[in-house]
Amino acid sequence: MIDLTKESSLLDPITKYIKGKGFRLQAPELPFYNRSVDVYGFSRTNNKTIAIELKLHKWKKAIEQAILYQLCADEAYIAMPRKFIGRVNLDLLTKYGIGLISVNETGRCRKTVEAKQSSVLRIGYKNNHIDYLQRQLNG
Amino acid sequence: MDNMPQLIIRMGSHAEKEYILKLSKQFDGIIVGANIVEATAGATASLIGQKLKMPYYIDPMTYVFGCDLEGIKSEQKIKGTKTTAKVYKRAYKRLAPELGDIFSNALEKKIPVLPEDFTPAVLKQVCQKVVDYQLERLRREFENDPEYKEYAESISKPASVFSPYFLIRSEEWFNLFLSLSKATAEIKPDRPVHSVLCADYEKLIDSSFIKRATAEIPKTGVNGVWLWFSNFDEWTVQGEYLSAFKDLVGKLNKTGLEVYNRHGGYFSLALNKFGMKGISHGVGYGEKKDVSQIKGPPNAPVVNYYLPDMHKRFDVPTIEACLHALGITTPTDFHNKICDCVVCKGVVKNSILDFQRFGEMHLATPESKRKSQTPATAKRCRFHFLINRIGEKNFIAGNDSATITQKISDAQEKWKEQFPIINNSKHLARWKAVLSS
Repeated sequence: MIDLTKESSLLDPITKYIKGKGFRLQAPELPFYNRSVDVYGFSRTNNKTIAIELKLHKWKKAIEQAILYQLCADEAYIAMPRKFIGRVNLDLLTKYGIGLISVNETGRCRKTVEAKQSSVLRIGYKNNHIDYLQRQLNG
Repeated sequence: MDNMPQLIIRMGSHAEKEYILKLSKQFDGIIVGANIVEATAGATASLIGQKLKMPYYIDPMTYVFGCDLEGIKSEQKIKGTKTTAKVYKRAYKRLAPELGDIFSNALEKKIPVLPEDFTPAVLKQVCQKVVDYQLERLRREFENDPEYKEYAESISKPASVFSPYFLIRSEEWFNLFLSLSKATAEIKPDRPVHSVLCADYEKLIDSSFIKRATAEIPKTGVNGVWLWFSNFDEWTVQGEYLSAFKDLVGKLNKTGLEVYNRHGGYFSLALNKFGMKGISHGVGYGEKKDVSQIKGPPNAPVVNYYLPDMHKRFDVPTIEACLHALGITTPTDFHNKICDCVVCKGVVKNSILDFQRFGEMHLATPESKRKSQTPATAKRCRFHFLINRIGEKNFIAGNDSATITQKISDAQEKWKEQFPIINNSKHLARWKAVLSS
């Protein structure tokens, strides 16, 4: 069982989940201007990047962040405890192409809404982030 | 009545003089804190007296001596040792005796001044010294310098002089504020006398406070009043505060007083249509200020990009994320739909990706762990902001209230689908409601 009253509790299940989806190169709190992306991952297999905003319940703020992450990642998601995802406006997610991942008390993750390929991706940002991940890997 | 709103730029340090010198013809005046004057008296006299030749104001900064005096201390090296100690900043140590014994005593005793310290004789002496300081300090700097002595007469007097002021926390402080205003007006200096109504922004909805301010300030004989509602944030406060602020401006102006906002943004500027004579702010920030935060924020604030439609700053990714959806894919689109100021034309030149130059960051030193804004980026953002602010001033001057609110509606319509922007622009609806009521 995980403590779903803390945002940080979502980190471990999410990193494991996306690793299983092929995003093996990862960093938490990846700097992006004055912000930081909660989880950023890169899949070498299909040259795709993913950015995930972790939130307990402030879904509007999460969507706002995820929209910005579409600049630097092929896919942007918000991840929230399963018990709160009913509050999320799914039409808004679909409109902006943001995906949604729910996390339950056992740490099991489930993709509830599939993210669309970002139409605003800036290759420069993506490449910088991949470089950052590789530098982190190489110490 | 000349209804052109005045834009009075506040110089926070001499590092900002480049902006002020380049845009001086577009500003209506400059205001400098007396602490800056004391820290750099020669440079200030030279800038104001010789280089700028524009109306100026010296803020006597008396309020700091009524606040927690820790706020005017800094870590300084102790002479002859390798250790540091937290002591009063030299500028304030020099300023205190210039303004009166009461302030020097406060520093010596390490106790802020209180209303009861102002006996009738002290009050009179303080007002006289504060007025003399503003009228003579810069001229005196030149007179005392053999190299510049001959230029002393060329330094004009300030556009107006401020009466001493403090944060109004109670009836006693309010009484003192009125007494200081009245005593300064009675000196009848050859410049207009302005007072500073300084209080927490919650006082805006305190009907007895507002009633007293509008009834009593005009009776003091001052010619103008600068409003400083601590933490009054035009972008986040609820409509009732904005309405109360607008009403106060109108009521004070109806009594014949010139009304200024010491720290204001576009909303305050737009209140020109309701009696606001002018606003003041810094070159890159300072459109709101907390009285208790004398030192400034602990870290240098990031100067974000000022989005003209929203009259608010946003970071680069927030704006960049919306460009595609707004049909902005080329520099020309950007200039047509976001900003066509000379800075933006110079920066966003070859590709829409050039917009990222408004957000460039670097590791400031080899030891830095986090990236910070590059000085060149901060400069671009400041110039872009100031040029836009000047444009806003001209727009307000040339248009009526209905046109001003229509422009806000147009901005809302244009950005309504851009979630990261519009979700952080709820101020527009509040401004529109207040300005059109």
